[in-house]
Amino acid sequence: MVKAVGLFFICVAWAFGSESVYERHCVPCHKDMPVKIDKFFYRYLLKYSSETEVKRAMTHYLKNPTKETSILTDGLINRFGVKKKTMLSDVALSEALDTYWETYKVFNKLK
Amino acid sequence: MLVLKNWDTNLRSREKKTLWSFLFLYAFLVLISLFFVAFLYYDLQRELFLQHQKEALSNLTNEQINRLRTLHVNFDKERLYPRDERFNSAIYDSGLHEIFSTLRSQNVNLYDDIYIKEHKIYFIKELESYYLGARYIALEVPEPAHWDKKIYRTLFLYGGIIFALTVLIGYFLLKLLLRPMRDAISLLDRFIKDTTHELNTPVNTILSNIEMIDPKQLDPSLLKKINRITIASKTISNLYDDLTYLILSHRLSSHDETVDLKLLLEERLEYFSLLCESKKIRVGACLEANVVMSIDRKKITKLLDNILSNAVKYNNIGGTIDVELHDKLIRISDSGRGMDASKTKHAFERYVRFDRSVGGFGIGLSIVAAIAKEYGLSVDIESKRDEGTKVSISW
Repeated sequence: MVKAVGLFFICVAWAFGSESVYERHCVPCHKDMPVKIDKFFYRYLLKYSSETEVKRAMTHYLKNPTKETSILTDGLINRFGVKKKTMLSDVALSEALDTYWETYKVFNKLK
Repeated sequence: MLVLKNWDTNLRSREKKTLWSFLFLYAFLVLISLFFVAFLYYDLQRELFLQHQKEALSNLTNEQINRLRTLHVNFDKERLYPRDERFNSAIYDSGLHEIFSTLRSQNVNLYDDIYIKEHKIYFIKELESYYLGARYIALEVPEPAHWDKKIYRTLFLYGGIIFALTVLIGYFLLKLLLRPMRDAISLLDRFIKDTTHELNTPVNTILSNIEMIDPKQLDPSLLKKINRITIASKTISNLYDDLTYLILSHRLSSHDETVDLKLLLEERLEYFSLLCESKKIRVGACLEANVVMSIDRKKITKLLDNILSNAVKYNNIGGTIDVELHDKLIRISDSGRGMDASKTKHAFERYVRFDRSVGGFGIGLSIVAAIAKEYGLSVDIESKRDEGTKVSISW
């Protein structure tokens, strides 16, 4: 019985441990939003084009979110408001944005 | 102008060489100028052509951008890059990284808005909204066949006309510049002709009268004076012969005969003996017998006289002259002042003289060259400054 409980806890810890920062800190909040997370990505892409510029704009917004720096339309901002400032460290934020970029980037996906 | 024709006043080889060198250089410079102008004209025409292409390509690019917009909106469902049979295209992000390309060329200059490369026209446009992250779009269309044919035809036609005209103008300009020189040569020839006419009678009179004097009846002092007169008269007579040959060479018909060269050389050495004695020149002769040549006697005599005359004229007091006759070779060497080896190739040119300390017109060796050319003789001059000159005639 003790062994079974121990094994359960180990599995749970492993399962949470294997999740990326992006999956743990970004996806859960966006999952419930009417505008999916990929749409945010493509709005950033539409405005900033390259990987460097997109990541820089996202980092800037997430660290200091304002109405002016948001890429959302006024209607959406009025409805959902501006998000709270991120609590993630620079390293964790960078890691999350890397995953985000790799997930939705256009490079190597066109046929 | 009749004088010019009759007196062979054509430009000498050096003047002709100068003429050709000038024309070549002039034509070369004209060609460079024409190529430069042609290049500018071609470049301008190409720019105009590209400007005309720009509008059509801009419309095609807008069509492609619309397709990219649709794809951007539906990217979660659709991943097929829009293609068009009229063109190839590529998209690049703001870091100039290629997002996707159907272009044949991998190297696209995104800083130029339109250009031609390897028979393709490339049109670059910056997007206002970066659909799929694309900041730049490049279109590639085939270059219309022979679009520049008309330009080349115009360039060759007008270029050819301008080139021909400028070369023609250059030719006449040069002739205008050379006219004073030609006039000077003509004047010199005319002067020689007039002088020659006046020389003939008095020289013959002097020589025939000297021959009538019996040297045995003269006291040594008078004989010495008569010899001097003889030498001077023969010098004038030689000059007269040279000038006559120069003037009338084109009218003289050759009477070839078999000439015994040993006898002829002995006769000519005897003729110059007094002249040699006057300069205390020692004459050595090594003449093989039975060496003959089929030639006009007067002309071979003139040829030998001119070489011997030079050997005496340019020799030092107490010098030597060696005359050799072998089968197919006559060699006359002197211990005179010689000339620089670099100048020997110009020695046969008319009026060319390298030593003006003695008299002469610079026509002797040009007569030698003319006679040698007529009979296919090879005349070779070896000379060293202050050591002497060796003239070899072979056939």
